[in-house]
Formats: sequence, C-alpha cells, structure tokens
Amino acid sequence: MDIQKKEEGSVAVLKLRGRLDLASGATLKEEIKALSSSELTLVHLNLEEVDFINSSGLGVLVSIMKEIRMQKGRLTLSNLASYVQEIFEITQLSHIFEIFTSEEEALNSYQSVGSN
Amino acid sequence: MSVYKYEYLSVIESEDKMLSNLAHVLTKEGVENPERYGFMLAISEAFTNALLHGNRLDPTKKIWINLEIKSNSLKADIIDEGKGGIDQINKRKPSKLLDTNGRGVDLIEYYAAEYDISEYKNGGVKVSVTFDRDKETISK
Repeated sequence: MDIQKKEEGSVAVLKLRGRLDLASGATLKEEIKALSSSELTLVHLNLEEVDFINSSGLGVLVSIMKEIRMQKGRLTLSNLASYVQEIFEITQLSHIFEIFTSEEEALNSYQSVGSN
Repeated sequence: MSVYKYEYLSVIESEDKMLSNLAHVLTKEGVENPERYGFMLAISEAFTNALLHGNRLDPTKKIWINLEIKSNSLKADIIDEGKGGIDQINKRKPSKLLDTNGRGVDLIEYYAAEYDISEYKNGGVKVSVTFDRDKETISK
C-alpha cells in the first residue's frame, strides 16, 4: 500500500492507495503513530484509491480510531468505493466512524468544529 | 472450467502475494465486481484465519488454495495444517463493535452463496466458499 501525506491546517491528510490488509495495516499504524508523536491528532484518511479492505484492515482502522480518541483527537474517512462502504455497513462500523463523501467535505467539518 | 492451485508459506508476506495472484487470475478470467470483491474478501478472510489461527504463523506449515472458475460459479478451498481450528471457529463469540478482530467468518457468511468448514482427521482445516457468478453478492 502506498501512503501520500500532507497537512491541511492542523489536519494530517493521508491518501491511501492499494489494499488495506494485515501487512499494510501495520504500515498504516506506524504512520499514525509517527503523527501522534508529532502531536498531530486530527487525521483524515482519503480511501479513494483503496481497492480492497478486509477484516484485518478494518481492525487496524478501529485500533487507530481508539488511539486517536484516547489522545482527544479526531479521525475522519472519505471517498469510500461502494463495495468498501458496504463492508463498513455490514459490520456496523459506519456507525462509529465519521465517513464523508469527499475529502473537501471532511476537511470543512474540521473548520466548522473549530469555529464553534 | 479453469483450475488454479497455489501453495503459500505461513508468513505475513504471503497474504499480499496471495491477493496479487488472486487478482491476476480473476482479471484473466474476466471476473468483475461485485462478485470479484466478495470472492477476494471471503478467500482473504479464510487465508488470514489459516495463517494466524490454523498455522499460527509457523513458517514450516503451508496454506493451499485451490480455485475453480466456471462460467456460472467461483469456488475456492483454503486448507491449512493447524489442529483444532474448527473448534475455535465454532466457539467464536460475536464480535463487538469496537473489537479489532473477529469479523472474518461473519464476512464469509455474508458474501458467499455457500460455505463449509471441515477438519481433516490428522489436522488441517478446509474452508470452502462458493459464489454464483450470475447473482449480485454485494446487494444480497
């Protein structure tokens, strides 16, 4: 899996490409850990180019979300392919993740929260 | 009918290799979404179970995958060398929302038209999954 990183204001944006599974999930966890140690706890994951995710990948996302919430941060997701979105719905994880249609919409939500 | 047979070592890196081989076969055989995704997911879940729970990441143990691609169906057998795996599967508890594992078998049950789990007398669990190619697995 390939991970492209950028910062949009105080939000770390990671664009993932490829498969999110057992091995690549470990890589993603390391990336998030590195962000946390730099005190970047507002994290957005753009999944537009994730063409496969399995239960190991979902487990990694849950683990990341727990870690970020423990640090009073926030995790958002966007651009899920329909079949990826469906897995979130089957497992009911769509109820606990903040999922947006687009990256722009997700990033706007950080501004809204910040201005409240 | 096309038949493909693969053998993998029980190491983490095998998962990526297996998925790449599977994607290649499905492209070659013209299997497209939604059945492609469901089939890959079911095999991936069975493979992860074989890797972590069946063979317990023992690199001396193997995982075999046999694929049968027909015009109207897709079938896969995923076979490991572990012992007692079927008891673990049968005794599994429903996963909770914030659990980081335990969703694999539920996803196989959801996507596959048929699935069967059996254990050989001398050890080794076989998971068989079958998909209908003319049925929309995603919107089931």
